[in-house]
Amino acid sequence: MSYFVQVVVDGLSNGAIYAALALAIVLVHRATGLVNFAQGGMAVAATFVAFALTRAGVPVLLALLAAVVFGFVLGALLERGVMRHFERGDPDTAVVATIALLVLLTGASAFFFGYEPQPFPSLFPNRTFEVLGVFVSFRSIGTILVLIAVMVGLQLLFRSTKLGLAMRAVADNPESSALSALPVSRLLMIGWGLAAGLGAVAGVLVAPQLFISPGMLDFVLVYALAAAILGGLDSPVGAVVAAAFIGVAENLAGAYLDVVGDDLKIAVPFVAVMVILVVRPQGLFGRKTTVRV
Amino acid sequence: MTSTPHTVRAGALVATASIAVLLVSGCTRAESSGGLGGDGSSPGITDDSISIGISSPLSGPTAGPGSCTVAGLAAYIEAQNADGGFEFGDGNTRQVEFTYLDDVYDPARAVSNFRQLTDQGIFAYVGALGTPTNAAVMPIAEEEEVPQVLLTTGARTFSEDQEAHPWTTGFVPTYATEGRAFGELLVAADRPITVATLAQNDDFGQSYLDGFTEATEGSQVEVVASATYEPTDTTLDSQVTELAASNADVLLSAVSVTPLQVGVLTKAQSLGWLPSIFLPSNTSTPGTILQPGGAEAYPAVFTPSFSKNPNSPAFAEDEDVQAYNAAFEEYGSQIATTYTPHCTWSYAEGAVLAEAFAGMEEPTRESFMTALRSISDFQAPMLLDGITVDTTSDDEAAISTVELVRYDAGTGGFAPVDGF
Amino acid sequence: MATATRPAPAATTTPPRSVVTRAAAAVAGLAVAVVLVVAPLVSSPYINFQLASIMVFAVALLGLNVIMGYTGQVSLGQSAFLGLGAYITAYGVLNDWPIALSLLLSAVVPAAVGMLVALAAARLRGLALAMITLALPIIGVPLARRFDGFTGGSQGQVVSWLRAPESLGLANDQWRYYVVAVIALVAFLLVRNLVRGRIGRSFAIVKENEAVALSMGVSPYRTKVLAFTIASALGGLSGFMYLAVVQYTSPETLVFATSINLVAAMVIGGSASIVGTALGALYYVLVPVLAGQVNSSRTALISGAVLLAVLFVLPAGLVSLPRRLARRRSARRGTRTAPHDTADDAATPTSTDGSAPAVPAPAATTTDQHP
Repeated sequence: MSYFVQVVVDGLSNGAIYAALALAIVLVHRATGLVNFAQGGMAVAATFVAFALTRAGVPVLLALLAAVVFGFVLGALLERGVMRHFERGDPDTAVVATIALLVLLTGASAFFFGYEPQPFPSLFPNRTFEVLGVFVSFRSIGTILVLIAVMVGLQLLFRSTKLGLAMRAVADNPESSALSALPVSRLLMIGWGLAAGLGAVAGVLVAPQLFISPGMLDFVLVYALAAAILGGLDSPVGAVVAAAFIGVAENLAGAYLDVVGDDLKIAVPFVAVMVILVVRPQGLFGRKTTVRV
Repeated sequence: MTSTPHTVRAGALVATASIAVLLVSGCTRAESSGGLGGDGSSPGITDDSISIGISSPLSGPTAGPGSCTVAGLAAYIEAQNADGGFEFGDGNTRQVEFTYLDDVYDPARAVSNFRQLTDQGIFAYVGALGTPTNAAVMPIAEEEEVPQVLLTTGARTFSEDQEAHPWTTGFVPTYATEGRAFGELLVAADRPITVATLAQNDDFGQSYLDGFTEATEGSQVEVVASATYEPTDTTLDSQVTELAASNADVLLSAVSVTPLQVGVLTKAQSLGWLPSIFLPSNTSTPGTILQPGGAEAYPAVFTPSFSKNPNSPAFAEDEDVQAYNAAFEEYGSQIATTYTPHCTWSYAEGAVLAEAFAGMEEPTRESFMTALRSISDFQAPMLLDGITVDTTSDDEAAISTVELVRYDAGTGGFAPVDGF
Repeated sequence: MATATRPAPAATTTPPRSVVTRAAAAVAGLAVAVVLVVAPLVSSPYINFQLASIMVFAVALLGLNVIMGYTGQVSLGQSAFLGLGAYITAYGVLNDWPIALSLLLSAVVPAAVGMLVALAAARLRGLALAMITLALPIIGVPLARRFDGFTGGSQGQVVSWLRAPESLGLANDQWRYYVVAVIALVAFLLVRNLVRGRIGRSFAIVKENEAVALSMGVSPYRTKVLAFTIASALGGLSGFMYLAVVQYTSPETLVFATSINLVAAMVIGGSASIVGTALGALYYVLVPVLAGQVNSSRTALISGAVLLAVLFVLPAGLVSLPRRLARRRSARRGTRTAPHDTADDAATPTSTDGSAPAVPAPAATTTDQHP
């Protein structure tokens, strides 16, 4: 029994990693109606800023704040300088522009810091405690608490603030938002900035475990996309629940299904996501409207 | 397509430009055909120069080790060039022209790079990292009789049958050699020992286990739990949890990815499982793996080693290390900004190359291969005392012995092993 | 390429111009064809390898363009079909199947797999569909490692085959080039006819608006399944060609990153354009080579910058380059020598060569064609 619970707990802490980036994807989709492949690249660039600061002796918390500010500015600048150029064109071109940004940011991070993963200091103590034979790390608990706070914050932002409602309107329909005198371009910029700032939080949260490297979030992005889409793309709660589901399903399959084994356990959540989407195209928590690419 | 002149013009324009690019970057058929130059020498060698090439992952997930594989070799070669050049067995002194390309660990890209390098007229292809990439290149190298040598991969394919593949040799010990060393250590203890294994789901992990199994067959050493992982996994927590349930005495962790190996070390102790640990030579660097992983918590951490760690205080006064650090700082640090052991391996490989040049009596690839296959008992720089290069065996890599060492948390370095 | 939404080919609306440009186009096309036939005879094996690689990825991109460019459904799984086709071919060669059988199965089996996936998923749209296609390479890689009896596992499979028949007097690299060139030519001609015909029109309508498609009696579901099946078949076919050129396949052949790069190359070449597909393949193969010429340690930085720069200058892809140049030239002269061009650009910003209708179809014309 405690083995089962341990596997679930391990799955949840994996899920927390996916959820961190999935939240950023949801935010940028809510704000701009676009899926951003560069989300991971921006998060890594910001995390590298924190990395450089901690190496220079700055406390992690302060470095995190600096990374968030850097991320916000980076995201806003990239929206203003690059993405704006593509916002009215073919959506495929805009998506490929985010792929270009991902490649470029990865190259830039590697230029300064190299490709080899390097240790990153943790915000939380690197210790575990035992409850009824199950070992839980403070780091996972800390990560999950921060995620829940961010999730609630986002939910409030979108539901209850003027800014959030305006951003949603812009993402849903930029033309009529412009007609109703919303500052569309500034809102898009803020949306990208917020998402990149959130990405910085995600990066700093997961870097102690994944180690910081330019490709740190490349594969996490795949899981995060799966979580965001399964969660309905518009719902912060949905993304977190879906990420937890993916992490747990993967680990349980690896531990208990011998046919699946360690090598194919990744297939289980992805097949599950496929089946769920076929049955429920709008995702677990999505609004039942058409999804804009 | 006649109804849309624009598109055809676009096609013509870009296609012409591209073919022009290709023609500039490559040469025509007449120039490249024919293995021998006018005076009987092979391509890529003149009286005062020789060109060698390498393709390794320099971007993407494997770029850390890939860059180091290029950087160490570049450091040795450029330092030697600056020092006057390389002495050859035919009496000439030559400068080595060194070309490196990025293959992103993609076999198709590696084949493309190999063809580009031979087209540009390299004499030999040296030191490339990666199993699938080198496997894709091997048949072409054999067919075109281009030396594909001193490869930085421990896969057996490149070393186990050198009669069938006369143009290919491996450099670093095969993974099986490392696994075997662990097995032998445990068998020598002559008591019942339980082992849990964690291996990468590819030839790296598999040959590691094969070597270990060969050595422990019929002994009191028993594998009681085993798990595998994919290099793309985010964490190995669930595998370690599974293995910890066995409570084995020893964990053989054939993990080649730095953060995952650190994760294994932290996770096992967080579950209260404290076995003796066996780590592969490529993921046991104290500064990046053992200290962040809290390796001091374990009763013992063993690793095969064959090269000196240039960052270790134990070697700070070592002449090899000082020469390495100076050369790397000047010529290698632009290519690889972070250290992996591959940097020192490929530096040593440069010295083996120089040794082969010194034995090369004619400026031909055949003569080079003969010289390269006749090196024995050669003490290359940066290799540990007692580890020598021997290329005369036709079923082993150039380095076929490893020394097991034990992590000494007090000094942050390694100490010799006197039994398990 | 004219489509249903353009009753008359663009060029015929300005007859004096069109004669000249048609002639110029014919000459240009002929020149390209001659170069493609003659080039391998005089080029080194390396250049022939690159030219043949361009053919390989052109067919993979052609498939991607059918589903993404023409039908408007994002696919992030094309590399899985490429890998499947390569593995089937490798298996066939190693088990002494006739080459024709390997060729056939390398297209048919991926098509069947693609169709099965599409039957389940084609009711989805946009990102949900993208997600399902993304899962294919993600699951495919560990599957390829698992079934090592069929695939050779992580070591991959070296397959030495397709040697030039002695009677022809060609070297192996030349022979392989011509084999893949013929396959690519046939694939391109077939798809060109397909997208110009009735099926192509239904692709375009589904891309534009699924509701409108329904009202016209075009089933979006069946159309998408068909497009996805064709895309998978072409992906598998490119796998056959891949094995012919590279002579090796391994799980690395089908990694997700390849799918992403293919999507980028397709958009860079020109969405919903046959010529654009070929240009995308040129880009896919040549930019890494160029990046290596500049600085091999900075390839990611260089490729990213080039990709972004091309998108900035030519958001509609390389295929729109001459139009851009023409417009620039006429702007500089201050005269409107090509009024048709500029007007056309303004009306259809996403349509590069008149092949993708960005403006909704005039209902009358289209319904006529779908009785």
